[in-house]
Amino acid sequence: MTAALEVSALTKTYNGKRALDAIDLSVEEGSIFGFLGPNGAGKTTALRLITGLTRPTSGVVRVLGHDVAGAGNAVRAQLGFLPDVPAFYDWMTAPEFMRFAGGLFGVERSVLTQRAGMLLDSAGLGGVTTRIGGYSRGMKQRLGIAQALINAPKLLLLDEPTSALDPIGRKDVLDMIDSLRGRTTIFFSTHILGDVERVCDTVAVLDRGRVLTQAPIPELKARYGTHKISMEVTASADALAAAIAKRPWAGAVTRENIGTIEATVTDVQAAQHDIPRLVADHKAGLIRLEAGEIGLEEVFLDLIGEAHA
Amino acid sequence: MSGALVFARKEFFEIFRTWRIVVLPAIVLLFALTGPLLARYTPELLTAVAGSQLSGLELPTPTVFDSYGQWIKNLSQIGIFAIIIIYAGLVSSERRSGTAILVLTKPLSRATFVIVKAAVHALYLTVLAGIGTSITWGVSALVFSEAPGAALWSASAVWLVLALVYLALMTLFSVLIRSSAGASGAGLGAFLVLSVAGLWPPLADYSPAGLLGRAGALASGTVSERLTWPIVISLLASLALVGLAAMIFRRQEL
Repeated sequence: MTAALEVSALTKTYNGKRALDAIDLSVEEGSIFGFLGPNGAGKTTALRLITGLTRPTSGVVRVLGHDVAGAGNAVRAQLGFLPDVPAFYDWMTAPEFMRFAGGLFGVERSVLTQRAGMLLDSAGLGGVTTRIGGYSRGMKQRLGIAQALINAPKLLLLDEPTSALDPIGRKDVLDMIDSLRGRTTIFFSTHILGDVERVCDTVAVLDRGRVLTQAPIPELKARYGTHKISMEVTASADALAAAIAKRPWAGAVTRENIGTIEATVTDVQAAQHDIPRLVADHKAGLIRLEAGEIGLEEVFLDLIGEAHA
Repeated sequence: MSGALVFARKEFFEIFRTWRIVVLPAIVLLFALTGPLLARYTPELLTAVAGSQLSGLELPTPTVFDSYGQWIKNLSQIGIFAIIIIYAGLVSSERRSGTAILVLTKPLSRATFVIVKAAVHALYLTVLAGIGTSITWGVSALVFSEAPGAALWSASAVWLVLALVYLALMTLFSVLIRSSAGASGAGLGAFLVLSVAGLWPPLADYSPAGLLGRAGALASGTVSERLTWPIVISLLASLALVGLAAMIFRRQEL
């Protein structure tokens, strides 16, 4: 597999403050890559560097084998991009903007007409002939995704594509991203864990300008324990949490409400055998003990927690 | 169709679909229609208003050249101010709104983005100046019975060269200064500097500073000397300013 997007030691400094700190990324061709991070982590900055809108302080971005620093129209012709807040010419209609965008890519007129109609239909904007100035944020977001696909891009870059959408719109966009699997490479930034978990093959977690990890999602989950334990005790919850954290099968241990403890575990059976004994040793009563599959949320919180510690 | 042509088409449509089709044409139309009428009837209006108070003062009989002079005078002040204010956001407004990001992540170079904008609006100004001059010419012919074309058209052409200089200057300012108000201020400052510089013959003879005076002289029917150099230098300066704007825009972060 070759990389559609490669980022090496990418750093961006604004007024002495590092928005991105030597990040490395490798996005394989044909994959759906989630770029996950809380607000302000540096996701939009990274996308601006990848699209060449901004120059890096140091480091290299290679898009489809070309260094972005020297990339011209030939590379941009193979990209589709949706910014975090897409802005359009308010006086245009959606079909006019699609024709304009396609025209910039040099898409042949007959292909353009057909493709624009199809994309607008799939964006729920088919037959909408009012000017874009009157669109809601969600409509603009959907038009933004449609225009990003007008050139059938080899690499589709989406900055928070679902952030302005209602649940139905969000589902539609995720379905659309899923439907492109294998046909193009998709790199999308988001702070919504559920989106990444639902459609991505690989995820990179960004926090405070640093990539904390990059891995295929199953591998990442396995690395942080595949299961979690949630329990509730009558007393000594803090002491029990400390004791659990020392066990060889325990990963991250967190205290929730009074008496509630959550832990990621590498060996769920050993945990289920050990925990009742630990509870008894601490002279506490066990109210509830549940074991379940770990979610990306636990991994994410664990990573962010470690980074902030 | 190349990206440049597609973008130029968008710029033209933007003129026709937004406030741009109203403001400058309205100003030009107002000047073109009222200039000849004001020139022709001002003495009579003054006499009617002032009555016997002006009996000792003999007002000169207005000529068609007063009409041309009025047209050029209006264009040289309010017309240029309008160009400065309208084009202060030529590039920066697209950056502020975010539309530049969608366009410039497609196969359209930043230099093309700037050059096409300047070129389309240069053409728009040329067409407006042509229409305005035609109307002034026609109305002057109606009001004064005679309207020699050479003086009016040559004066308007010289004004147009000056307008192109300001368009190019505002293109540069709109790249350099993100705020339209800031760019307008810089443009008005440049207008003041050029107006004062026009009083010094060595500068007036070899720079855009001399164009205003020459346009006025041509409109009054006087054959203006030393016209070639200020025009040639102004046109070259306009090209250089747009080139510089494109070069700077290429290096800027969006």
